[in-house]
Formats: sequence, structure tokens, C-alpha cells
Amino acid sequence: MSAIAMPLNEAVAESGRHGRVPGNKGIWVGISCEFVEFVVLFVVYFVARAHFPDAFERGSERLSQLSGTIITLLMVTSSFFIACSVATMRAGQQRRSLVWLIAGLVVALGYPIAKYLEIQWNLANGINGESGIFFTVYYYLTFNHLVHATWGILGILWVLARHLAGGYSAEDHAGLEALASYWHATDIIWLVIFPFFYVLA
Amino acid sequence: MNDTVQRPSTAIAPLTHAWLALVALSLISPFLGQWLHGAAGLQVLVAGIVWIKGWLIARQFIEIDLAHPFIRRVMRVFITFTPVALLLTVFFGRQLAGWATL
Repeated sequence: MSAIAMPLNEAVAESGRHGRVPGNKGIWVGISCEFVEFVVLFVVYFVARAHFPDAFERGSERLSQLSGTIITLLMVTSSFFIACSVATMRAGQQRRSLVWLIAGLVVALGYPIAKYLEIQWNLANGINGESGIFFTVYYYLTFNHLVHATWGILGILWVLARHLAGGYSAEDHAGLEALASYWHATDIIWLVIFPFFYVLA
Repeated sequence: MNDTVQRPSTAIAPLTHAWLALVALSLISPFLGQWLHGAAGLQVLVAGIVWIKGWLIARQFIEIDLAHPFIRRVMRVFITFTPVALLLTVFFGRQLAGWATL
């Protein structure tokens, strides 16, 4: 029996037996590829760290810990707001879900702003991509994450437009949940990057 | 038919608890970096915090306990990879550098 023809309770039981796919299969292909990409970049980080331990121990002292902490708080908070948007949608509270999603977008937009200010601060303090191996890896990894976060923010805007158009309901909100899954995955990646460059010394 | 099938949560409270824990761990981290500056214990502590944060998001926000086994495996492997690699770099950094030298 196809999923479309299956009654809702039976569909839930079926997904319960085999495990459900949060969002849709397509987004999980994307998330898996994103993880593979960052695993490769993290291997580069570990190899560079193993070769130049002194440069990595001194490097984090020159970066703005405040910027790293603010970006971390923005990421976990926007992730939380979007998780609340999914939970309230499941409960049939469309309006609340919309408010949580808008809050998630507003907080997420703080990330590129904080990153811009951080880069200005770096440049003012003589830190650029040629300041040493630590900073080369730092710029490469954090810019890469910023690119992925930008896809996520564009995704939030798209989902918001569909939400405003009444495209989601308690029964059908796979698009919203797919966006949430991608944003949570991007959040997890940042939570790895944060101690790499701002904490470990 | 199995009547005890778990459904995705509609509750905000567990999400709030997870978020508060994530915020607390994020605020503590920079201070740990300053207090344990240069100590080997810092890397072990950071590896643990990275794992806990990843686990919190995977379990509470993505709800991997209800997810398809493939998704559960992908998440668990990714969340575990970095703390393990960090510890290996701490304890076997020289060997890793030797293997990765052209």
C-alpha cells in the first residue's frame, strides 16, 4: 500500500516500525553529503594541528572569543526556535508555529552580521588568511560553514513564504521539518567548529 | 498492530531544557579555555562537551530515537567522530603527523 493511500494511524505505525524520516529523504541525502564534506575538512584541521601544535595553541588567543560565543548562542537559539516551530505545527497551532519560525529567522540573521563584525575586528588586528596555518584553516572552515548557513537562511525564507501561504498543516509539514533538520545539522557542525578555534589553546 | 508506537513530540518543555543546557555549555566553554589554558585535560573536557552538545541536538531537536536506522547511524557516527579524532590528536599527535607527511 502506498503511503498516500494509507490511513494516518497506519502510516504512523508503519513509520514507527521502521523509523521515520524527519522531513524528507532528499534533505537527508543533502545532510549526509554535508557531514562527509565537513568530516574531510575536520581531517584537514586535525592533520594541520598534529603538524603545528604550537601554532594552534597560540592561535585561539588572538581570535575574538566573544564573537565565537555570540555566534554559538545565535545558532543554538535559532535551532531551538525552529524546533519549537515544528512542535507547535504538529500540535495544530499554525500561528504559533509561524511566530517561532520568524523568531528563528531573525536570530539566524544575526550569524552573518556577527561574522562580518568578527572579520572586521580580525582585519583591524592584523589577522587575515596569510597570518599562519591556524588562521588559514580557521578562515577556510568558518567561511565554509557560513556558506552552508546561508543556504539554511535561504531555506528558512522559502519555508516562511510557504508557511505564510498556508502550505503546512499538522498532517503535512514535511518541508518545515526538512528545513529544521538541515538547520539542526548545520548547528551541530558549528558546535564542533567553535571549540576548535575559540576554546582549545 | 503495535499500539505503543512513539509519535514525534509536540511538547516545548524538553526542547527548552535542551536549549538551556546548550546555552550553559556554550557559555562555560570559553572560561574552561582560560582556566585550563595549556592543560591536556582541557582537550578531554572539550571533546566531552562537543559530544554532549551534538547528542542533545540529535536526540531532542532531530529526535533520532524515532528516526530511520540509517539516519540514526549517520548522526551517531558524525557526533562521535570529532571527539574521538580530537582525543587521538592529543594522545597520538606525533604519529598522526608522521602518517600524514608527504
